[in-house]
Amino acid sequence: MIFFDILFDGFFAAIAAIGFGAISDPPIRSFKFIALLGAVGHACRFCLMNYFQVDIAVASFVSALIIGFGSLWLGGKIYCPTTVLYIPALLPMIPGKFAYNTVFAQIMFLQNMDQPILKAKYMEMFFSNGMITFTVIFLLAIGATLPMFIFGKKAYSLTRRFFK
Amino acid sequence: MGICLCNKRNGLRFHNKDIRQSMIRNETTLQQAKFIAEYAAHLMGCGIHTSRVIRNTKRIGEALGFDVKISVFQKSIILTILDNESQHTFSEVIEIPALPISFKHNSELSALSWEAVDSHLNFEQINEKYTQIISAPRMNALLLLLLVGLANASFCRLFKGDWLSMLIVFIATIAGFFVRTQLQKRHINHYIIFIVSAFVASLFSSAALFFNTTSGIALATSVLYLIPGVPLINGVIDIVEGHTLTGITRLANALLLIVCLAIGLSFTLILFKGSLI
Repeated sequence: MIFFDILFDGFFAAIAAIGFGAISDPPIRSFKFIALLGAVGHACRFCLMNYFQVDIAVASFVSALIIGFGSLWLGGKIYCPTTVLYIPALLPMIPGKFAYNTVFAQIMFLQNMDQPILKAKYMEMFFSNGMITFTVIFLLAIGATLPMFIFGKKAYSLTRRFFK
Repeated sequence: MGICLCNKRNGLRFHNKDIRQSMIRNETTLQQAKFIAEYAAHLMGCGIHTSRVIRNTKRIGEALGFDVKISVFQKSIILTILDNESQHTFSEVIEIPALPISFKHNSELSALSWEAVDSHLNFEQINEKYTQIISAPRMNALLLLLLVGLANASFCRLFKGDWLSMLIVFIATIAGFFVRTQLQKRHINHYIIFIVSAFVASLFSSAALFFNTTSGIALATSVLYLIPGVPLINGVIDIVEGHTLTGITRLANALLLIVCLAIGLSFTLILFKGSLI
């Protein structure tokens, strides 16, 4: 059952990565690897969070790192820059629900200014959700970019096709 | 005396010819310099992080026999291009066009810069390939609409929404994305586009409130197709790589778009506040 949970998570993450990636017009040949990286990354975060009790920030960072290394490896095969592969793959991991809760808390805070208990509750909700959203997005970007710094020379010449 | 004059005349004629030749050469060089500037502006316009734009531009300059010095700002690029042969310099300032983000242009134009260096392409070949790449058609609009709808529906699933919520999010996303593309065709201010399409998508998904389903999740995910993920991640990359100015500009733009998204969403939330709590 756990196996199917992980598989489903990866499957839906792959669809999300393809769809959100398609808005930014990637080359056709990159779609299969975008799907693969999106699935592996999100399934990895799902495992870490549900079975190893890792918090969302660290889990996102580790998954982004895996996506980053993966994009470096796969990008060389189809002559695509790493960003073309890893940005769409990261999109399903953007913590949308926390971002929504931040906005929701802000509105409810402004609507309940005269009730101190509710006001404090929504204030706390605003800051904790905003903090998670901000940290996770930052760590996602850092995690996926880190391999590019480690393998600078290789990462910069992935699109070099006619090298003799 | 006479011989001397003749020599002088000859020398003068040669001199004139030299000037004419160097003028012709300068003209083609100027054309090439303008091409390099346009190449850089196009890369920057279609959403590529700054360090790659600089690297690619320098590389394509190298292929044409130039030494390119480049500084990138948020709205314009300044290039100083040194012709290695004649030691003339050209200065170009070019405005960055607002283009839709395109990963296809990113990878193909990067590949073009490598190909220019490795296969020693001449200027006409490079220019022809460049025009070919930037005039290639984008993805079919209908297919894109379907893909985005499916993507957002599966996003809803990832946040533990049920099947009914997924269906509602699918319809809401398609409605919102359709409105967005229609407004974009009419060149309306993109902040307004974001507010309107976030409002439309969340309004459609508020239908979930009338069913026994995970309506909060449906509302939350229906607007997420609008999150400007590419500038957010590019912004962080730029800042980490030291291009702080362009990085912060990208983040500020993305933040403004997210604020617009939140405004559109909050219209719906205020409308249906009673049934949400």
